[in-house]
This record gives sequence, C-alpha cells and structure tokens, in this order.
Amino acid sequence: MSDKSGLTLFLDGEEVPFTRGESIFQVSERHEKEIPTLCYDDRLDAFGGCRLCVVELEGARNPVASCTTKAEAGMRVTTRSGKLEMHRRVLLELVVSENREVDVDELSGYASQEMATLVDRYEARTGRFEGRQSGASRPDDPNPFILRDYDNCISCYRCVRVCAEQEGDYAISIMGRGFDTQITTEFGGILKESACTFCGQCIQTCPTGALGDIKALRHKEIELPIEKTRSICIYCGVGCSVDIMTKGDKIVGILPAMDGPANEGALCVKGQFAFDFVHHPDRLKTPFVRDDQGELVPATWDDALDKAAAGLMAAVNEHGRHSLYAIASGRAPNEAGFMMQKLVRAGLGTSYIDNCSRA
Amino acid sequence: MTRTNEELISQAKGQEAPLLPLLHQFHERDGYLSEEALRAISAGLRIPLADLFGTVTFYHHFAREPGGQAAARVCTGPVCKMHGADALLTSMPGATGMPCSGRCDEPIPVLRGNQTWVGLAADALERRDTPVPPAAPAGTTECVFAHIRDENRKSLSGYRRSGGYAALEKAVTSMTADELIAVVDASGLAGRGGAGFPTGRKLRAVQEAGGGPKTVVCNADEGEPGCFKDRALMDHDPHAVLEGMALACVATGAPRAFLYLRYEYPETDTLLARAISQAEEAGILGDDVFGSGRTIRIHLRRGAGAYICGEETSLLNSLEGKHPFPRNRPPYPVTHGYEDTPTAVNNVETLASLPPIVLHGADWYRSLGMGEHAGTKVISLSGDIARPGNYEVPLGLPLATLIDDWAGGPRNGNKIQAVTMAGLSGGFLAGDDMDVTLDEPSIRAKGSFLGAGGIMVFDETRDMVAVAHQAMEFFAHESCGKCFPCRIGTQRLTERLAGDAGPGELSSWLDEMADLNATMKATSACGLGMAAPLITESLVRYFPEEVRAHVSGS
Ligand SMILES: Cc1cc2nc3c(=O)[nH]c(=O)nc-3n(C[C@H](O)[C@H](O)[C@H](O)COP(=O)(O)O)c2cc1C
Ligand code: SF4
Ligand code: SF4
Ligand code: SF4
Ligand code: FES
Repeated sequence: MSDKSGLTLFLDGEEVPFTRGESIFQVSERHEKEIPTLCYDDRLDAFGGCRLCVVELEGARNPVASCTTKAEAGMRVTTRSGKLEMHRRVLLELVVSENREVDVDELSGYASQEMATLVDRYEARTGRFEGRQSGASRPDDPNPFILRDYDNCISCYRCVRVCAEQEGDYAISIMGRGFDTQITTEFGGILKESACTFCGQCIQTCPTGALGDIKALRHKEIELPIEKTRSICIYCGVGCSVDIMTKGDKIVGILPAMDGPANEGALCVKGQFAFDFVHHPDRLKTPFVRDDQGELVPATWDDALDKAAAGLMAAVNEHGRHSLYAIASGRAPNEAGFMMQKLVRAGLGTSYIDNCSRA
Repeated sequence: MTRTNEELISQAKGQEAPLLPLLHQFHERDGYLSEEALRAISAGLRIPLADLFGTVTFYHHFAREPGGQAAARVCTGPVCKMHGADALLTSMPGATGMPCSGRCDEPIPVLRGNQTWVGLAADALERRDTPVPPAAPAGTTECVFAHIRDENRKSLSGYRRSGGYAALEKAVTSMTADELIAVVDASGLAGRGGAGFPTGRKLRAVQEAGGGPKTVVCNADEGEPGCFKDRALMDHDPHAVLEGMALACVATGAPRAFLYLRYEYPETDTLLARAISQAEEAGILGDDVFGSGRTIRIHLRRGAGAYICGEETSLLNSLEGKHPFPRNRPPYPVTHGYEDTPTAVNNVETLASLPPIVLHGADWYRSLGMGEHAGTKVISLSGDIARPGNYEVPLGLPLATLIDDWAGGPRNGNKIQAVTMAGLSGGFLAGDDMDVTLDEPSIRAKGSFLGAGGIMVFDETRDMVAVAHQAMEFFAHESCGKCFPCRIGTQRLTERLAGDAGPGELSSWLDEMADLNATMKATSACGLGMAAPLITESLVRYFPEEVRAHVSGS
C-alpha cells in the first residue's frame, strides 16, 4: 500500500503511506491513533513540550515526541504500549498536581476541556505528586474580555505561540524558568498596556481554561445546554466563520470556526467579543419619530416610514439626488443590506451607498 | 565616557549575535537593565518587547533593579555549601546565592560586578588567580595540560615559543580539510563536554553539510556543578583554545566562530578578548590567517546565568537572541545550527585537544589512554579530598588511583561515602560501584556516565539526602520550563527530598519516586531532565536506610 511518492512507515505494525514533511503525529492522526497531546495546536509549529505524544520508535533509546519527529521511510512506530501509557498517565498526574482545579466551564474557550478530558481518559485524578502549585493568576487585570487565571496554567505556551505565530502581535511571553515560568506581558503589566489586540486567540487555544472568555463565562449559571450555530461574522468583508453559542434563545458567546475557510480559527476583537448588542436593553424594538417639540416618541411603522420618506424626498427635491449618502450596518442581515441598496439606488436615484463592513 | 543608547545600539547592529553583548553593555553602564533600556533595545534590534522582557528574565544574572549588577553573588553550590556558603551568604547583606560557579577547588567564590573574590568569611575575601592544575605523577603524558604550568603560555609569544599555532599554520598551509578531519577521526577524540560524540564525525558532518556560512561554537558555558576544567584551560592556555577553534574552522570551512562563556568567568572574558585581538594583530586570526587568504573571526559572547545554555541548542538560541529553550532535534546543529547554518558545537577541552593531536598525530593521542581507551580526560575533582583540582588522566585510569595516588586521598583520613559523576548529572556512585575506571564503558555499566568529568567527593560525615536535595534544587532552578516532565518533575523531586511534600509512607514515597524517575528519563526533551533523576535513582539505590529515615521523619 503506497501513495504516489511511495513512502511508507509501520504504524503499530501496519504499513501506511505518508507524505514527506509530515510528522509521526500527523500520520498517526490520519489513522485515528488518538495520541494524547496538550501543547499541540495543528495551526502552530510543533513545540514538543508536553511530551504526552511520545511514541516508541524502533532503534531509538528513548521514546520520541511524535509531534516534532518527522516521518521517515521504514520507521517502525508504536503509538500505544504499557510503558507509553504509564508515562502519559504520570505526566497527566503531574499537571493535575500543579493546578488549582481540573474542571472548568465549557464556556471558558474552544479548547478548554482538553486537559480534563485527557485526565479522565487516563484516570489521572489520583492526588499523586502533590506539592506547590505553579502560576499566579492576574485578578488585577481589569480587561473585560480575557480571564487570566494562571493558577490553572500548565505552561504549554500555546497562548504565547498563537499570539506570535497566528496573530503576529507578540503581546505575551514567558517570564522566568522551570516551575516558576509565568505567562506575562512586557514588564508583567496588564493586557491593555501591552500589544494585545484582544483577538481572543489565546483563550481559544488554552487547554485548561487558564485563559477564559469573560463575556461567555457571565452566562455559566444558565442551566441549559450550549447549542452551536455556524454563521459568518457580520463585521467585515473577510467573512470569518463563527460558531454562535446559545443557551435557550440567548447568545452566550462566540467560538471561532477552526475549519472556517477565511479565518481557519482566527477572529478579531469584534467577531470574538462584540455580540452584546443582540440582547442589549438599549436596542430599538419599535420605531421612534420626533413630535412637534422635537422629542422622540414611539410610533407605528407606517407613521415612521411616511415621515422618513417625506424627509428624504424633501432633501432630494431641494438639493438633488446626490445630496444623500447611505451606510448599511454590518449588524443588519444580508437581506436588509440588499433592500437598503435597492431603496437607495432605485428609490432615491443615487449610487452613494456603502456598508460599514467594507474592510 | 558613558555611551548613549543610540551609540550602543548602532554599534551592536553591525555585529553577529548582537543581543547578549548589548544587554551586557546596558547592564554594566546602568548597573541594571531598566525598562527604558529594554524599550530602546527592543526598538533598536526589532525584537518584540514582551519577548525581550521574557528572555531577559530567563537569565538569573541580569538584574532589573538599580544596583543589581554590582550586588554580590555568593556561590551556594554543593561543594561551597560544605565550606559554609550558607553562613557566608547570610553574613553579607544584599548578597544573593548563585548556583555552582565553577570554582569548587577554591574557597567560596563571590562575584561582585565583574570581579571574582574567594574566601570563607566576608571580611577575608581576596582575588586570586585560577589555580594551576596539580602536577601529574611522574611518567604521565598529558595532552591539554602538557604546557599549562608554563607561566609564559598565556602570552602569544610564550605560546608560540612552546610550539603554539604551529598546528594551525600547518593546517592552513599544507593540509586539506579532509586530511585534518581524518587525523581527528583516527585519534578517537570524543566530545569532552558531556555527550561524548566522536569529534571527527561531527566535524565531517559540518564540512559535508550544504549551505553556509558554516559556524564553529566553543562551548565554554561550563555550568555543570563540580566542573571547573574549562576555566583552567582558558585562563592558563587561552591560545590553545583559540587555536583549537581555528582548527575546527579549517576542518569545517567555517569563517566564523563563537566562544560562549559563562557569566561567572569575567576575568576569563577579559583575558580571552585580549588573546583574540593579539592573535588578530599577529595575522593568526582575522582575514588572512597565516597569509593563506582564509578568514577566521572569533567572536566572544558572554552568557548571563543559565545552566541550560550549555546545552548546545539552547546555547544557539541564546546566541541568536531567542528564548533559550532547547530546540527539537532532529535537525541537529551540524546541519541547522547558528542561524540555521551547519554548526560544530564543541567543548573547550575538546577543541584544546586539537592542536596537540594535529602536531603529534592520531596514534600519539590514542596511546595516551589505557588499554583500548583513546586519549585523556580532564577530571575536576572536588569536595572531601586532600588535593582538589583538575587532573588530566589517561582514560581507563582507576578512580581509586586518581583519588588516592594523584589527589592525596580523602580529606582528614575519613572514609569516602560517595562520589558524583559528570558533575551532578551522572548521579552518585557509592560502595563497590566506586570501583570503576575513568572511561564511559566502565561508568555507564553502573548506570552513570563520566560526562564532562566533574567528580565531587563526599565522605562519611555527609548527609547524602541533603546532598541529593541540593543537587535536585539545582536542577529545578535550572530547568528551562519547556517540557512537563522536567519542569514539574524536578520541582516534585526537590520537595520530596526537602521533606516539604509527598507521601509520608515509604512504599508510596518510593513508588512516586520510581515513576518520576522513569518518566523523566524516558520523556524529557533534553539532557537536563533525563539526567536529574539519576540523583534520586542512585540515592535510593545506595542509601536506602537514609531514605527510610528521611521519609519517616518528614
Ligand atoms: C543541560 C546541559 C548542559 C550542558 N552544559 C554544557 C557545558 O556547559 N559545556 C559543554 O561543553 N557542554 C555542555 N553540554 C553538552 C552540549 O550539549 C554539547 O553536547 C557539547 O557542547 C558538545 O561538545 P563536545 O562534543 O566537544 O563535547 C550540556 C548539555 C546539557 C544537556
Ligand atoms: S488576545 Fe490576541 S493579541 Fe491579545 S494576547 Fe491573546 S492572542 Fe495575543
Ligand atoms: S495560559 Fe493556557 S495556553 Fe497559555 S501556557 Fe497556560 S495553559 Fe497554556
Ligand atoms: S528537560 Fe528540562 S531543561 Fe530540558 S527542555 Fe525539558 S524542561 Fe527544559
Ligand atoms: S504534542 Fe508533542 S510534546 Fe506536546
């Protein structure tokens, strides 16, 4: 069995094809080997920190990290053995021992259940290796978006790497060494004073919920299941795919869609966090018109439309059709946007129409 | 005259590997690394500020408070602790401890700014030259120490009078790179920095690798506790090290080399800088080596306090100004080293062996070892021993011969309880297992390794659990934090050896210990995390009673 290139290796005894440049982990994933990982995010360069992905390689003295080891023809790889599973369990018991808690709310972020899931799979809540905990949370950071709960940090550095490799923002880095490493901004400050753009990418890659989505977590008390609806971010022309999280009929948060063709899991601060307007108490639910005193008062749609039409036509009659310019809101649905340009072009006779999303 | 930020930065920008020297210049100019300094460097060298800040915090000697650069640092390594380092540290207000600073054959070293002082009490500190290695027994032929006791060797003229730079001249004028490598290969020389990789093979791999310019790196980080041999070589025979680097350049075709020196050797830094410029002025290094038209530029770079920067890939990241985590291998430095160019990283002693090998030939070098073992190894011997110091021994020499005949036996006539191997990285040998010969096969058979050749001696009066705790504290302090098994494992082992945490019941304590040891050895990303558990493994093996008492008392 081989593909065009003819390269094969032996994966748990079975000869399988691979393409040059693939890591052992990538080949194993294709064959559903379910190798555990914690420092891995397939959008990032493999890092080799968690060591959960170690596999046995014939001829190598020690197990090798499958994420950082490139597949080579003829390799004989074992992805599961008594020894490997023992090492993986010890590694998980170790990370459990350095954190305040294992279980965090799913609203924390896209990858937030990764650690808890593996801990359960390996039955690693054993209380072994107890000792000092690592990481100091930053309750002093007043930003409204990103929870910095480093008591639950396992130093996988996915946040630092996603910020550098995906966002190119380099807002956060690693302070200190060893057990005392700590995720930090320059000079240990708060995010607002750093290069952070609040894109939320670090939250979504964090495997423990140490970084959490503060806006979504506001809704953790609502005892309803989370439903996810695929949609497109409304804010600009890039068209990032999102999964809108709802509980009942309330939008509780936004997840970037890792398979979104335009964004591949990336979002910006607007797409990630700016969804409050949907349920905002200030949101208009009925039209208003000004009365004789100039005060805004609720009106019927007919009244309001008549008034608007009269005002617009008066302006056109007095100053010409190009005296008007319309901007459609990105927060309105596509159909409304279409109607708007129809009204402006056909009704008012001008092509001065734009959309705030035209980034 | 104090130089402005702009002056310092614009000068640095034109250099290879500019970050470390620039940080040192600010550190020394201002007495610490201020926020303003880091902002200027970040903008000047175009390094993201958060990254630069994180990287600076990685090195424990970079001070970020005013006055920090000049503040005293007292060595609290295992041997200095035997000499009362803890008390000395407490008696010096404002001083901080530092891990083994590579002077275990002297009284306790204290670093103040760029000066090293030694002594046992705060009011009795003095500045001293690096001790000259004790004389070898009559009839011994040395390689790297052959001329080290000759006072004149330090100067360029003295070095040349005793045959110095003849090997380099021969290599650039009448040898091909292949011939040079063939000699090294045939000599059997293997790396003296710890891993013992055959030097000829490494040089050939770099020579044959595609791409360039190629690079040679002399690893003078010497961070392993109990190792102080590289400093003796550099201080008393600096040109031999430079000549060895130049020979490695000729062998590989590299026009440039770096010497990465640990922070704790400031006097060596000055001395090497002078030696390099003298050799350049004499046309021995520089753009026209011995009139051959060949360029060999040696750049001196100073570390800033991080044992892991002796690990070759961490060292390369450090040189490049990156966060000094070790890199994932493969690819290895021989193809993807400094700035991804083919790079030979070699230890000081390895490189210093090259000139005599080229002059006297491969057979000569091989014959220096005993039996089938090729060549010599410098052993740094310290602790409870009558004559601590550096000894260049024929490989294969019995450890007992070194201890009793060469170094005068244990101090005060006490019985030796244990020795460490490879500094701390090889763990302990005790009891009958001390009956080894000094060569890798013999020591590896006991589950340890000779490595860089640091041996600390502990007599029967020492508390081995406490020694193991100090050792593990060192590894925990120096763990880089990249990989889980080492980052958390060294911490948990330290806590258990301190009695701060862990099961109070022996069998669970041993069970945790065994799992930690096994998983750290098998899955750590670099040699630090793989070696640290040799300490606990050997402690449990040789001192079960002491361990039992420790666990039941905690
Ligand atoms: C944690 C760690 C620290 C090391 N420190 C040093 C060092 O201080 N000096 C050194 O020469 N090699 C050190 N090494 C070994 C280097 O990685 C590398 O093998 C060596 O410099 C190669 O030179 P050689 O072949 O001449 O021995 C260290 C390795 C590890 C894992
Ligand atoms: S929110 Fe975005 S920019 Fe800010 S730290 Fe996280 S990844 Fe970096
Ligand atoms: S905050 Fe989360 S993503 Fe960042 S290092 Fe810690 S555990 Fe990893
Ligand atoms: S073994 Fe230790 S020092 Fe080496 S990479 Fe892992 S954490 Fe860093
Ligand atoms: S996924 Fe390979 S080490 Fe973490």
